[in-house]
Amino acid sequence: MELMKSDNIVPDRQPRQEEIMQQQKQQEEEEERRFHVLAVDDSVIDRKLLEKLLKAFSCQVTCLESGEKALEYLGLLHNSATAASSSQSQQHQGLKVNLIMTDFSMPGTSGYDLLKRVKGSYWKDVPVVVMSSENVPSRISMCLEGGAEEFMLKPLQLSDVHKIQARILKSLPQS
Amino acid sequence: MDLVQLQRQLVDYRTSLYHEGFLDEQFTQLQELQDENNPDFVVEVVSLFFEDSERLLNELSNALEQQIIDFKRMDARVHQLKGSSSSIGAQRVRQLCIVFRNYCEAQNVEGCLKCLPQVKHEYSIVKTKLESMFQLEQQILNAGGSVPV
Repeated sequence: MELMKSDNIVPDRQPRQEEIMQQQKQQEEEEERRFHVLAVDDSVIDRKLLEKLLKAFSCQVTCLESGEKALEYLGLLHNSATAASSSQSQQHQGLKVNLIMTDFSMPGTSGYDLLKRVKGSYWKDVPVVVMSSENVPSRISMCLEGGAEEFMLKPLQLSDVHKIQARILKSLPQS
Repeated sequence: MDLVQLQRQLVDYRTSLYHEGFLDEQFTQLQELQDENNPDFVVEVVSLFFEDSERLLNELSNALEQQIIDFKRMDARVHQLKGSSSSIGAQRVRQLCIVFRNYCEAQNVEGCLKCLPQVKHEYSIVKTKLESMFQLEQQILNAGGSVPV
């Protein structure tokens, strides 16, 4: 776009466009630096709540309504759990997930199924927190033994999310 | 009624909902999550709860009208209702769902038939009360005031 010196309006427009583009780029970079959480729950109410709780801690949140959708998002739906194939690692390129929070009781792929699949895959180092409205000791130990970072009782509160964040942020590698 | 009176009325009304056991501290948590970025958060979540509950209650009615009652399916629905009422702090509804689930687990038709209308009743009461509360909040906002926390 050519600057027309005789026109007072146009010279202002170009720097502003650049500013906007720079702002957008900064915002994108900031988003990439933010803690990215997958929130998996079949209840629309609980998804909305969890999203708000996490956003209160400046997390970037992706809500998914089922275990299947979560597996699909992570590229784990159609193939085996190994990360050997190059096509799989290409799928994962650019996709960053810092934490997965999943409900336990979901139709189809349960939170426990999701946990096991994640722990046997390329994503095995991503902490998985399992949530449930029911306090069942055998369920809790099963999840913890299955590799869950934490088991939390619903409904979650700000203090619960704060607790997880503190623990996980401590163990995050400085990238 | 002037603004101060409206605000006082709201606080009293809200307090009574807690005292009478319609709401528990989870509702307070919802309010704490609301901020300038999401000024309608509570209304939005509660509206989702209304929609979801009405669907579930209809499905439960249908299930109980069948010749052969699918208790497992019913239990799943009640579990969902229990979860969502718990998430928004609708205490009485949640407590009734626990009773209802016990009847489902025991495959007790009579128990279920007795319980469902009770759940519907409690749900409609809390719905009316929450809607009244929201209306009061809106009146305060319309009068140029802020909603007391």
